[in-house]
Amino acid sequence: MKQRATAIGVVAFLGMVDALYLTVMRGVHVPCSVTGGCNEVLTSPYSEVLGVPLSTIGLAFYFSVFCFAVLDAFEVAHLLRWVFWLALPAFVITLILLYLQAFVILHFCQYCLASAAFVSTIFLISAWPRRTTQNLN
Amino acid sequence: MSNKTKPLIVIVVAVVVAAGIAFYLSRQSTTTASVASSGNETPIAVNPGGGHIRGKATAPVTLVEFGDYECPSCGYYYPMVEEVLRRYPDRVKLEFHHYPLIQMHAHALAAAMAAEAAGDQGKYWEMHDLLYKNQTQWARNPNPESQFLAYAANLGLDANKFMRSLKSPDVEKRILEDIQRGSVAKVEGTPSFYINGQALNPLPKGVDDFAAIIDSTPQAAK
Repeated sequence: MKQRATAIGVVAFLGMVDALYLTVMRGVHVPCSVTGGCNEVLTSPYSEVLGVPLSTIGLAFYFSVFCFAVLDAFEVAHLLRWVFWLALPAFVITLILLYLQAFVILHFCQYCLASAAFVSTIFLISAWPRRTTQNLN
Repeated sequence: MSNKTKPLIVIVVAVVVAAGIAFYLSRQSTTTASVASSGNETPIAVNPGGGHIRGKATAPVTLVEFGDYECPSCGYYYPMVEEVLRRYPDRVKLEFHHYPLIQMHAHALAAAMAAEAAGDQGKYWEMHDLLYKNQTQWARNPNPESQFLAYAANLGLDANKFMRSLKSPDVEKRILEDIQRGSVAKVEGTPSFYINGQALNPLPKGVDDFAAIIDSTPQAAK
């Protein structure tokens, strides 16, 4: 089994749990013992795009990445390149969301920070030069 | 088992497990939060009394809000609450309570005191509106007192009286009493809303959600 695809699959799975949790908890006060600002972030106008919650968009992203990673890991299809093209805009959006939390909303949400870490990891693994990871594959 | 079946099984199992974990965690999270709203076993102190009333005193539906002027979510809900009051002028009144999250919001207490100080001169709701409408401006100011003073001047308040109230221990005591009411009501965050005694959890997502709850609330007064 390909280690790079497996690693992406594991991280995407964690992202799915995170995004599913936020989707289920939409509109409910979530516990926020680490950063303290989750509810400010999650109910801000930036928490949705055209009425669609970002957590739902994130869930669709993680699910797609997970499916691609699994199919690649089982060598059904070579889809890691597509993971990179999904992760690239996701990474840019993640940077924008981090900026909004830091400078506009002035609060941080621990679940969003976790998601930022997952997206960044997926992006970095998928962007890693293939030559250096060929042995892993 | 074919090579194409295995990944499908992995995907299905992973989705089921992820959903299970997420739902389990959400149940854990909401158990504490909804103890109060479940109503049957642990009635919440949803009729805290006191507070500032906006709307007709005889309105049969009381929308209680525990709010923090510096909290962005409260600022987000402010126009919704105003729209609800506009939509139901005879049926709904707002009972606002201060619940400044002092540890998170450096100026929340000062803002609540500014509202109370304006209230001492009969302009509580006018200052309430100004604080929410201009939240993003004063909240970023390291010293928002000058802005509160400017708002007071705009409202035609006596500046000296306003400053005295702004520093008054009695005014602070009123806010601390509201915080105490919130603690009794098990307020976990701001804004927290209650309609005729029932906690709104999850929070309404828009004016129509508020309207649906109000429409289904019996006319009986709280």
